[in-house]
Amino acid sequence: MMQEAGFIDITIGDPVDTFAEAGGAEKAAQFDVHGYSFLARRPSP
Amino acid sequence: MLRQRAIAMTAELLVDTELLRNQVREKYREVAVEPHRAFHFHTGRPLAVRLGYEPDGVDALPDRAVESFAGVGNPFSLRALQPGERVVDVGSGAGFDSFIAAGHVGPTGEVIGIDMTPEMLAKSRGTTEMLGLDHVTFREGFAEAIPVEDRWADVVISNGVINLCADKRAVFDEILRVLKPGGWLQFADIANGRPVPPDARADIDLWTG
Repeated sequence: MMQEAGFIDITIGDPVDTFAEAGGAEKAAQFDVHGYSFLARRPSP
Repeated sequence: MLRQRAIAMTAELLVDTELLRNQVREKYREVAVEPHRAFHFHTGRPLAVRLGYEPDGVDALPDRAVESFAGVGNPFSLRALQPGERVVDVGSGAGFDSFIAAGHVGPTGEVIGIDMTPEMLAKSRGTTEMLGLDHVTFREGFAEAIPVEDRWADVVISNGVINLCADKRAVFDEILRVLKPGGWLQFADIANGRPVPPDARADIDLWTG
């Protein structure tokens, strides 16, 4: 979707277990939900 | 596969946009006014440590700037902001990431935080006044209609917000609009490694809880 919107040079960081030991941990584990950092650019003309 | 799935977020609208906004607004009103109660996600300084924020930047902020932080990653981990950059924070909440950004870009830069929850805006604006920052402002608005002029920003940041928007493509279109050519989008969000059944994806209660 980001590519379709026009972003380039998309980079995704390592997963972070952001819900570990929180109330939502069980549900997050059920669907393998993690936090990620994303980096992308708007193309130059 | 997981990374491809993270980028190829679904294009169809699964839930009613306004219904979802109201539910998200209510959830984050609670995070603003009762930050120390238990939520299904972590909050505050322990969360900032978990997500790898630089301790010096976090420790320098007052509790009211950090206690309602509810991000899911670190938008500064893949690229450091540069002095003088103009930054838009989409879904700024109580302002934690905006204040971290303000420290990175310095007084020659500028930060505009956007949020739709009145209690969060009141908190972030109060903190700005307390800290005496004149290069940070907060505006009421939606991620799908960012109240910033075209090509204003060098960088757009966001943290745990886009997954809560029904029309993600509209959000990315808006971010592209406010970025200068060559500008950076650096955000953090959640992605699932196993598919969520269609009935669960359409259950609005599961989006915020």
